Amino acid sequence: MIAVVLFKTALTVYLISAVVYGASLLGRRVMLARIATGLMLAALAIHTFSFAARWLAAEEGPVVGLVEASSLFAWVMAAAYLAFQLKTKTRVLGAFISPVICLFMVIASVRLGGTVAAPAILRGSLVTLHVILSVAGEALFAVASCAGLMYLFQDDQLRRKKGGGFSRLLPSLGDLDRINYLCLLWGFPLLTLGVLAGSLWARIVWGSHWQWDPKQIWTLLAWGSYGFLLYQRLVTGWRGRTAARWSIAAFVILLVLTVAGRPFFQTWHDFL
Amino acid sequence: MRLVLIGMNHKTAPLEIRERLQLSSGDDAHSLSELMRLPEIREALCLATCNRVEVLARVEDGGQAVEQLREFIYRQGNLEREELERCLYVYQDREAVRHLFRVAASLDSMIMGEPQILGQLKAAYRQAVDNRATAVLLNRLLHHAFRVAKRVRTETGIAGNAVSVSYAAVELAKKIFGNLKGKSILLIGAGEMSELAARHLIRQGVGSIRIANRTYARAEEMAVMFQGVPVPFERFPEVLPEVDIVIASTGAPGYVVTAEMVAAALKRRRNRLFFLIDIAVPRDIDPAAGEIENVYLYNIDHLQDVVDANKEMRRIEAMKAEGIVAEEVEIYEEWFNALAVVPTIVSLREKMEAIMQGELERSSSWLRNLEGEERSRIEIMTAAIVNKILHDPITVLKEESKDRDELPYVAAVRRLFKI
Repeated sequence: MIAVVLFKTALTVYLISAVVYGASLLGRRVMLARIATGLMLAALAIHTFSFAARWLAAEEGPVVGLVEASSLFAWVMAAAYLAFQLKTKTRVLGAFISPVICLFMVIASVRLGGTVAAPAILRGSLVTLHVILSVAGEALFAVASCAGLMYLFQDDQLRRKKGGGFSRLLPSLGDLDRINYLCLLWGFPLLTLGVLAGSLWARIVWGSHWQWDPKQIWTLLAWGSYGFLLYQRLVTGWRGRTAARWSIAAFVILLVLTVAGRPFFQTWHDFL
Repeated sequence: MRLVLIGMNHKTAPLEIRERLQLSSGDDAHSLSELMRLPEIREALCLATCNRVEVLARVEDGGQAVEQLREFIYRQGNLEREELERCLYVYQDREAVRHLFRVAASLDSMIMGEPQILGQLKAAYRQAVDNRATAVLLNRLLHHAFRVAKRVRTETGIAGNAVSVSYAAVELAKKIFGNLKGKSILLIGAGEMSELAARHLIRQGVGSIRIANRTYARAEEMAVMFQGVPVPFERFPEVLPEVDIVIASTGAPGYVVTAEMVAAALKRRRNRLFFLIDIAVPRDIDPAAGEIENVYLYNIDHLQDVVDANKEMRRIEAMKAEGIVAEEVEIYEEWFNALAVVPTIVSLREKMEAIMQGELERSSSWLRNLEGEERSRIEIMTAAIVNKILHDPITVLKEESKDRDELPYVAAVRRLFKI
């Protein structure tokens, strides 16, 4: 019960923070963005407590279903963004990040009601690990693509030689590119380990590592694009616009998979 | 008690006149003490910058103070009366406060939003304080002015964007690289404008600087000045990959930096962002270089466009700032008017308390017969009666101060209670 209340409070504070971020962007006020950052920090803290409360209340260890996964996704995004915010002055990036956080919090809250009794095959530490790692990786990719989007925006402003007040608020290209890179650098190994954990589990449950399930194929495709991008960044020195575009495209693949894919595919993987 | 501000600025007086006043008021301490010797001046402050000469003073009511201040300025300038008359403005009370706030917020500056004026005003205030030329009113007013300046600065974008070409280059560099620490510059051609831009960039933490110039001696000379490295002119393409910012300003008739050079350098620097500034006319850098990904090329016209856009934005922000100033003038005025009723309230209270004490004294012989507790109760009760009686008149007096100017109740209370 406490967990639910905490979760809803966190959701509300995230929403307020998103609104304030939006206002700071429209009103071009750095002060508002500062307030929004504070709000997001508070929301993150409450959110963390809600996890703690939920997992303490659960009798048989953490159960990881859609609610937790979405909520964890939002949590990782918020934590990663705030960490970058500490390092660089990228306050306005929050205006792009916070709506995504809110979206995932809302998705989580829709199913919040009762803890859905997960099917027996979805219990076990490997599954938990699989979900936590993949979700964390994907959340970092989400941050990367937000930074990429903003990069394209700022790049466009600079190329059109417009000195308007709008680009004044945006973070610098250097900072955005670094965020994009770091998220990729951390997100990729996390997703890789997540996929490995999943396939080990699949071996135990279904007898084989790989089922040629549509969801798995899409994931492989997204994983491959991220791998390619990371390779290009590290080896051939891709940077800036190309890297930003690529990371956005790869995230779109992930998004198609999780959001649009559901109704269209018959999938083994449809519990998440 | 009145507030008078008299002076001239770049809009009202030509340079020659400002100059002469500036020269003579160079010794601020001296002019301050001369000011304070004037019979009707109670507090004073002198502000002299290259764009304005102003005297702010609190003076006695109804006297010749304004005339005395005028005379003072004429003496300072050692100029003909008529000549100066045309340049001078005189503001009183509310208008003086507004003008001071506008000056502090850099709304009255030649380059609107420039930050120096606030520092100059603070220095002038310090000078006045050191010479004991200020008291309650000016202290309060100046601190309020500093607050207004800060509010304008944080709440509007008036000081936000660069309004000079060389500073616009710095701002763009920040938008591209974020932190400029550890970045390096190459100056191709050592003109005045590139020198200025380099100076700004170094102040922002740019690490190293290289200078390539056709006359090698000049490159060496500048290298000494900036603690940089001179590069022989024909060898600048070799150092291109090692620098992040290039400022080109040679007098060459054709392109000195070609798109191929830039592309090759970018490859060698593994696509790290590259900021090229071309302030030469005719241009030094092939515009095709600006089409390359991760290369940002700005020529003098682009920089000028940025500056123009920023100036326009400052103009819009200035309107917001004027609103803030108007608001703050109101706030100050409320305080100022309250000041006029405070002495009356204090004397009224003192008189009532004296009466109460006196009556308690007179009855002390029979009060002594009472128990300690009963005695103190009577004392508390008399104090409460006094407070209750005073409550409404004091509220009305305070209310009245907000409606400013005429204060009929103050006069009435003073007559009724003979205070």
